[in-house]
Amino acid sequence: MSTTVEQRPAHKGKEAKAPVSDRTRGERRLGWMLAGPAFVVMLLVTMYPIVQALWDSLYSYRLTAPDDRSFVFLQNYMTVLGDPVFLSALLVTLFITVVTVAVELVIGFALALVMNSVLKTFRGVVRTAILVPYGIITVVSAFAWFYAFDINTGYVNTWFEWLPIIGPDFNWFGQQWSALFVIMASEIWKTTPFISLLLLAGLAQVPGELNEAAKVDGAGWWQRMYKVTLPSMKAAIMVAVVFRALDAFRIFDNVFIMTNGQYGTETLSLLAYRTSITRLEIGLGSAVSVILFLCVLLIAFVAIKVFKVDLAGGKG
Amino acid sequence: MTAKPHRRALRSVAVAAIGAFVLAGCASDDGGPVELTWYINPDNGGQTALAEQCSDASNGAYNISTSLLPRDAASQREQLARRLAAGDKTMDIMSLDPPFVPELAEPGFLATPPADVIERTTKDTLEGPALAAQWEGEYVTVPFFANTQVLFYRKSVAEAAGLDMSQPVTWQQIMDAAETQDKYLGVHGIQGESMTVWVNGLIESAGGSIVQGDAASAEGIQLGLDSEAGDKAAAIIGNIGDKGLGGPGISSQDESAAGVQFRGDKGSFMVNWPFVYPAAVAAAEEGSIDQSVIDDIAWTTWPRVDADTETAPPVGGINLGVGSDSQHQEEAWDAIECIVSPENQSSYMVSDGNPASSSVAYDDPEVQEAFPMSETIRESLDIAVPRPQTPYYNEVSTGIQQTWTPIYDVNENTPKESAEFITSVLNGEAML
Amino acid sequence: MTTKQKLGWAIAIVIVMIWSLFPVFSILMNSFKSNADLQSGGFLPSAFTWANYEMIFTGSARDLFLPALRNSIGISVIATALAVVLATLCAYAIARLDFRGKRIILVTALAVSMFPVVSIVTPLFNVWRQIGLYDTWLGLILPYLSLTLPISIWTLAAFFQQIPWDLERAAQVDGATSFQAFRKVIVPLAAPGVFTTAIIAFFIAWNDFVFGIGLTSTDAARPVPAALAFFTGASMFEDPAGAISAAAIVVTIPVIILVLAFQRQIVAGLTQGAVKG
Repeated sequence: MSTTVEQRPAHKGKEAKAPVSDRTRGERRLGWMLAGPAFVVMLLVTMYPIVQALWDSLYSYRLTAPDDRSFVFLQNYMTVLGDPVFLSALLVTLFITVVTVAVELVIGFALALVMNSVLKTFRGVVRTAILVPYGIITVVSAFAWFYAFDINTGYVNTWFEWLPIIGPDFNWFGQQWSALFVIMASEIWKTTPFISLLLLAGLAQVPGELNEAAKVDGAGWWQRMYKVTLPSMKAAIMVAVVFRALDAFRIFDNVFIMTNGQYGTETLSLLAYRTSITRLEIGLGSAVSVILFLCVLLIAFVAIKVFKVDLAGGKG
Repeated sequence: MTAKPHRRALRSVAVAAIGAFVLAGCASDDGGPVELTWYINPDNGGQTALAEQCSDASNGAYNISTSLLPRDAASQREQLARRLAAGDKTMDIMSLDPPFVPELAEPGFLATPPADVIERTTKDTLEGPALAAQWEGEYVTVPFFANTQVLFYRKSVAEAAGLDMSQPVTWQQIMDAAETQDKYLGVHGIQGESMTVWVNGLIESAGGSIVQGDAASAEGIQLGLDSEAGDKAAAIIGNIGDKGLGGPGISSQDESAAGVQFRGDKGSFMVNWPFVYPAAVAAAEEGSIDQSVIDDIAWTTWPRVDADTETAPPVGGINLGVGSDSQHQEEAWDAIECIVSPENQSSYMVSDGNPASSSVAYDDPEVQEAFPMSETIRESLDIAVPRPQTPYYNEVSTGIQQTWTPIYDVNENTPKESAEFITSVLNGEAML
Repeated sequence: MTTKQKLGWAIAIVIVMIWSLFPVFSILMNSFKSNADLQSGGFLPSAFTWANYEMIFTGSARDLFLPALRNSIGISVIATALAVVLATLCAYAIARLDFRGKRIILVTALAVSMFPVVSIVTPLFNVWRQIGLYDTWLGLILPYLSLTLPISIWTLAAFFQQIPWDLERAAQVDGATSFQAFRKVIVPLAAPGVFTTAIIAFFIAWNDFVFGIGLTSTDAARPVPAALAFFTGASMFEDPAGAISAAAIVVTIPVIILVLAFQRQIVAGLTQGAVKG
């Protein structure tokens, strides 16, 4: 999970610009002394394991058969990439990513508009309400949605009996489309506040004069939205989309709780988890983990290079 | 929310609350006799009670504390296997589901039980549980409780369908009865261990076996799924799925959900572990179901596949094992000997509804009184056949679960497909 | 504002409230239902019962829930504190000092925040079991830092950018020692940012599930989200829906308290000063 970062730390204190070389060296040392621990910790708990995973993925290694460990080079990758289970997990993950991000963008934008223009009196109430899903534990959200739809404990079937298909006998978690529907609903509910806060930040950057000028020119609400607001928010929207897409691509908690990947709901993260942690196939599981990592890398790369999304913001 | 003092008050509440939480987090352990940890599967508290009882009886030699494992068998295995692989020194006593014993025994994760302990603890053990405690002909665990599925039925439904329940019934008969009476059949269609239990029971009842050949190596395993017995199993399961006899929630229905369905209006026949009966009685006492439902419930042994061949009911239960890295193995075996004594087995059966593995325990009048079906259980345990014993049980079982669900998609191709699938998984060519 | 507009706003606010709070309310209602009631298909309990809360605090689920609650609180608070301390030092350096590598640190933080957690849980498990960190508090605190540090660094760096550091020198000119200047002038200015960052970091640590199930196996370190997935009902095979709902509500209470008390700061922190005031 990350936050809005379009506002890169930019302007420095005047003194920091003093061109004294001794001072520069001293600052550099102090800078690294202060920033170093955080930097090292971040590297240690992410880079080291991913290198280890890369190494493990070249072996056939099962935790409960430690003596049969053998070097198989890229065999694990061939197995994974050629497997229908992997392909299906990849497609499901992409589907969830695209749908949730698209829906969240719409709802998130609406929420951001409400937060931005609601009367001061109600601002606190609205913010509080929106922050509840943001702060709530994903697993709790998963259970809330699961119990609402579950055939035994749910009330959704009772409420929406008048719809076709749905009735007291409809098992939401018995087939792919309906199970994915509930999984995505929970994911959307939980993470929309995040996207709407990013968009709120973007809204605040829309120059008010432009809007006023458009108003004077007789532009209606929709026209102003379309011609002024959205174009000036482009950067914020792109950042929000990329961050959420990367997050959605790693979806795990909701699927684990609701279906554990049954009936065509398995995602890449869950497949990686099940292979290495549940099946204890460290080698094969590491291969899936590495592939997942590469996918995320690819998305970030495409976003930055192709769509020119400035995630880090500003200059170097 | 805008008034400042109000917010400040809330803020201090938040800080105080967090502070209290942190303080509560600083509990410490104290010393004493040898501390044994017993990893238990969830029950009604019986194992915790036995832990206390045996600790007291040890005269300060050891003190057993229990640590609860997850609810389903697969997650229990996952936790235990990872701890054992992690070289955990606190794996003193473990409640193990029998199918996972070979996987833990093969790499030497389990300590070998002393011969005298085995001799004293297994002399009255029923045949099924005894087999399930061994790997390659040697005891690697001690049988604690055994479990088997019986056929529960509603007397009213059986009567209306004209079934004579004093005689062995077949799957076909109960399927027909449920269909004609417009009732649901209690089976377990969830993608879980219960699916393997069902498939294995059917195949064994039809005279087949899921795993044949050298079960110890991934390459040596021969699968008996694609066989006449496998076809019969697929026909029964597919039929129940096709006709919707399992009820609308079948795809996510596990043992307890089946138990709830059975005591509802649509209940007819159900294969299940005995615990559902005490659960139904408790529900009646609580008032959520009518006493007349309880009076309507009866039981017999598992249904047959062929009318003329004896059935092979599923067997389950819990064995007790000791981790090979445990620091207190001697005390652990002493404690196990205390835990599995026939008296404790019968009291545990009464308190928690899990049947004893010792035949002596069934002679206890208290068991016979509290467990009206104890005779059926003992009978069933006599003819029960365990699930495949192989270190690769998880692959075999998960493979079955994935290919035999949802049950309305099971057809005559399922046995062959599942055999091919599991084989390629075992050969490392496919993923689960 | 016209009546029509007022009505429109009222409706909008009500919709936002329902959308945001309904699932919480739904599981709250579940937590008050008896077992039979849970199967009834109704939304509201037919009779309110505290039985589920009794179960998790004094009953059969107690041994699963209370240790998990203790672990969750302890681990999340420590991980938050560590992250905030490390991130404060780091962000201070980034905001105030001019040194090469600044950009690398920020980009690394960004990259780490995009990291698929599942990819590192297996290797971590392998290393942890070899060095004895498996199923310990520290074994979770360290990976939690990879979740909390990046966002903390970015948020704090942005906060520190906005602090008028010149005031510090002004105070020194007025005769204060540099420590006094720091304590009297800078700390009060920086504290809200640090505090807000702490709340956001706490939410993230509190939310973790993957590390929680992947790197623990007993109540020695298992946090609440992981414990919820392993919950059992009153008896072995009973559906644990009631107990899970009650436990879910309990762990949501701190979130609600924090949100109620600090909504303005959290929003400001997450939008990083883009929304001023």
